[in-house]
Amino acid sequence: MRRLVYFLRETLGNIRANRTTTFVAIGTTGVTLACFGVFLLLYLNLRTAVGSLQDEIQVILYLDDGQTKTDTASLRERLTKEPEVETITFISKSRALDEFRRQFPADQHLLDGLGTNPLPASLVITVAPAFRSPESIRRWVARLEGLPGVTQVQYSREWIENLETIVGYLELAAVGIGALLAVASVTIIASTIRLTVYARRDEIEIMRLIGATNSFIKIPYLLEGATLGAVGGVLAILLLRASFEVFASNLGQSGRFLGIDASLAFLPLRVSTQLVVAGLVLGSAGSYVSLLNLGGAR
Amino acid sequence: MIQLFHVSKSYERCRALSDVSLQIGKGEFVLLMGPSGAGKTTLLKLLFCAETPDEGQILVQNRNIARLRSSDVPYLRRTMGFVFQDFKLLPKKNVFDNVALPMMVQGLSAFDLRRRVSESLKAVGIEHKKESRPLTLSAGEQQRVCIARAIVNGPSVLLADEPTGNMDVGLAREIIELFKAINARGTTVILATHNALVVEQVQRRVVTLSGGKVASDSGGRT
Repeated sequence: MRRLVYFLRETLGNIRANRTTTFVAIGTTGVTLACFGVFLLLYLNLRTAVGSLQDEIQVILYLDDGQTKTDTASLRERLTKEPEVETITFISKSRALDEFRRQFPADQHLLDGLGTNPLPASLVITVAPAFRSPESIRRWVARLEGLPGVTQVQYSREWIENLETIVGYLELAAVGIGALLAVASVTIIASTIRLTVYARRDEIEIMRLIGATNSFIKIPYLLEGATLGAVGGVLAILLLRASFEVFASNLGQSGRFLGIDASLAFLPLRVSTQLVVAGLVLGSAGSYVSLLNLGGAR
Repeated sequence: MIQLFHVSKSYERCRALSDVSLQIGKGEFVLLMGPSGAGKTTLLKLLFCAETPDEGQILVQNRNIARLRSSDVPYLRRTMGFVFQDFKLLPKKNVFDNVALPMMVQGLSAFDLRRRVSESLKAVGIEHKKESRPLTLSAGEQQRVCIARAIVNGPSVLLADEPTGNMDVGLAREIIELFKAINARGTTVILATHNALVVEQVQRRVVTLSGGKVASDSGGRT
């Protein structure tokens, strides 16, 4: 307990003694983590948006006009048993025509001129979440195309694949940018701790001479790095929150394009906590790096 | 207690110690004499594991310190005390905390720590200054604090490098009397000095070094 008090006192002493470098380190770590946080915010919001768009992935089976009600019912029953199917809706020829008229009122004359209803009946299938990857859908659709009574199978292949590619790139960029910013944070904190260690080199020598172990000497500096990193993390969250509020209010004023403002969300508490913990870990890593040279000395 | 066998140590091209053999028994008071550059400080640094010998073996309390792992050095140092000419006190800590540092390193309980620090401060006659910062003290007082820190662990060996180097005669006598009192309680004391007055005051075994070699030993079993 007394040792813990000693370590905490030393840590606070170090921070107080190097106020300027401490503030610079906290500031730069905060800004660095906030940059990563901006990216994280963008990624999480896009991921949510992609998730909700993927909920709408549908496969439409256009049926042959010669299909009887019994044929359609047995086809529907057969499809219901497929694991890829979440929901299945039958759109009759007349309903398809009604929907066309409703969606494109200006083009009604085109159909009126034909005299007959040219639109086919269809089965609209919502794909189960586990089978929404482009590859699964492609394989399944190939199978559906061979079914008797099915003239055409349509799904938004390109759209689904593009979405997946965007999310894939975002994930890759998250790892890359995260790694770069992590190295930057470690370097900044390592430099700060190195300055502290340099300023207190005489003290460290005295500690060695009175029988202090390396870990006893290093712990206050490791705690200092962890504190700088964690405070930097909290600062990053505060900066992000403030920027997010400004962005959200400006978005509202400028017309709320595409309804984005409704689905826009700040980092969840869990992710915010993880960002602070990341700061703490990076801070400790920075201290550890700066203290590597201390290990070999007697 | 302490044995050196054919120990040599060089710094770049300068030979600091050359084929030194010595035996120092438990409870002895040994004065290391010699001019500057004779090898006194190097010998103390070797005993304190601040340096490793190029050749030869050094046994301290039956442990061969030439072969000691770096991670074991702090534990050996805890059995020793060291008094420096420049005191090496932490200026931002008060006298009490400076003396308590070796205890803190060992993780002693708060009760033991307070008791032993008070005893040490009392032994060197500076208990009333325990709240003061080192830089507000005189040289003599700072050296007393340094001695208190060196003996707070109850070390079996006390090493001192020119502890009266920057002091006037009267102050130096007081400090040497402290070492004699510590030795009288059974602690082996090895004190490096070039001051002949100290030899006169202590009246114990004198090992004279010259050019890194043992030139004479008034009571040794080399």
